[in-house]
Amino acid sequence: MSLYEIYFAGSLLLITTGLYIIASKRHLVKIVIGLEVVTLGVNLAIASMGIRIVDDMIVMDALAQGMIAISIAVAAAIAALALSIAINIYKHYGTFDIRKLRRLRW
Amino acid sequence: MEPLNIILILVGAAVATVILDPVFRKVRLIELSGVIACIAFLSTLVLLVLDAVAGAPPRMIIFGPDSPLTASLKLDMLSIYLSIIFSGLGLMAAIYSIRYMLFEVEHLPLDDPFWAKVRELGLDRYYALLLTLITGMIGVTMANDFFTLYVFWELMAISSYSLVAFRKWSWEAVEAGFKYLIMSTLGSLAALLGIALLYGLAGSLRFDAVRAVVFGGGNMAAAFSLAMIMVGFGVTAAIVPFHSWLPDAHPAAPTPISAILSGVVIKTGVYAMLWSMFKIFGPATYGFGPALIGLGILTMSFANIAAIMQTDIKRFLAYSSIANIGYIITGMGLAAHILRTYPSETGLAALALTGALLHVLNHALGKGLSFLSSGCYILRVNSREIERLEGIGARMPATTASLGIGLLNLAGVPPLSGFWSKLLIVSAGLGIPSDGLMLAATIIFIVNCIVAAGYYLWLFQRLAFKRPMLDGGLKEISEAPALMLAPILILAAACILITIMLNPVLQFIRSALEVILG
Repeated sequence: MSLYEIYFAGSLLLITTGLYIIASKRHLVKIVIGLEVVTLGVNLAIASMGIRIVDDMIVMDALAQGMIAISIAVAAAIAALALSIAINIYKHYGTFDIRKLRRLRW
Repeated sequence: MEPLNIILILVGAAVATVILDPVFRKVRLIELSGVIACIAFLSTLVLLVLDAVAGAPPRMIIFGPDSPLTASLKLDMLSIYLSIIFSGLGLMAAIYSIRYMLFEVEHLPLDDPFWAKVRELGLDRYYALLLTLITGMIGVTMANDFFTLYVFWELMAISSYSLVAFRKWSWEAVEAGFKYLIMSTLGSLAALLGIALLYGLAGSLRFDAVRAVVFGGGNMAAAFSLAMIMVGFGVTAAIVPFHSWLPDAHPAAPTPISAILSGVVIKTGVYAMLWSMFKIFGPATYGFGPALIGLGILTMSFANIAAIMQTDIKRFLAYSSIANIGYIITGMGLAAHILRTYPSETGLAALALTGALLHVLNHALGKGLSFLSSGCYILRVNSREIERLEGIGARMPATTASLGIGLLNLAGVPPLSGFWSKLLIVSAGLGIPSDGLMLAATIIFIVNCIVAAGYYLWLFQRLAFKRPMLDGGLKEISEAPALMLAPILILAAACILITIMLNPVLQFIRSALEVILG
């Protein structure tokens, strides 16, 4: 198994884990954590595509590094926004449980 | 004009509103941040229209050395066409917001004095987010590689999440905002996974480099990445079954933002699908035509049935947006099917795509107009229930007449341009009568158009002509304020103007289509 395949398998594992967390958990903050895990999986997928072997050394493509850096920044912004909305939901309902919300059904 | 200038104008205005806001509050003129936004949108609109009239050739700028790894921006007729729609509706929403946001300030559930409420509401953030939202959409149409597209996509997405949750004192807005954030982010991540696979295949993300690898031959990885991109952008385009965030998110936002979200943000998803499917992957190699037709039919049928059952005017308009996305997607699907099955009939495929692109314009105008008018009713009656708005036309004639033009345009009543865009799609669908799939799709399309026309006219009849149910409830109502009426009248005039100038508009769309079909 090559390094690229191991990385890609790991990324698919992370994405599946994250989707499972989002689908099964009922706590708003845990859902945000699940979203972050999916993001990490996608970042790892980008990394696995950027691996190059030059003179027996493993290096990563510059574009892949740039994309991962941007993706991490975007994920941080989304997590901050999601948590701030979660705080506002807590102020309204006094709970983080999505079953207690009136219309959140997915 | 360079493509970067437009983006710099809009981002610069966004920064200016945030920096200058304390000054504006000190001199007690909060309207000024709205004026800055209006000036920025107006100058972008003028620059883009000048470019379109001059028939400027496609341009491209590359940031740094010309290697397959650097980011770049393009400006061709298709990006100009969509950017004009985006910045035009942005201008209307910005003018409208100046007065409408004062209403939001007054209805803030706080006992504080007016100026403390203004600070709490955060008007500076509102205009900055509106500007970055439009910047993101214009940037998506101007991107020349998937990396730039993703960056602008997220700029648009994050701005729209914050704007949906902007009225954070209402339970509806925060719930809908959270739901929208989770679903739309998952969609973006699916698209990013597809982009990562394309990067692995091509070693670059520039559209021309990716196209050179995937356009001709279809392997499994390319097909998987196509599916991921279709699902990912389909979430933002609100294609059924990825639509369930839209009927919650659009009504929860402040009304000018609802107009932007319904009118143009979902069209960005359509553009991203159109570009990556037709330009990068190519419908002749990958048979996504029937899948697109199926999704389009499902989308419009579901949304039309759901729209009839709504009692809330903004939810009603949100469902009808999903239905209109169904028409556009069906047009694209018909074009893809024709290009794959009957390669000699390129003219017919171009006809279907022309109809789809014209419908993007028609729906942006009509839906922007309807949402902005519904905002005027909400301002006067402070209710979104259609029952309570019945018969309001006698009290607010100018608003209701303009809404009528918008609804007739959406319904596709003959002289208006909404009729011609649907007719183009239908005539493309009937172009090859021996093809059962296309014939069936076109018949369902026509039935849906008739049902939709029925409920638009029914809504208009209830608002304009019915006697008010609650006696005396509408006595005190007067016409909408001038600053809110102006964008509505402009949009209504634009609906009629497009109908009169249908030929130049169609020629413009044809030159935009040349970018895709070659």
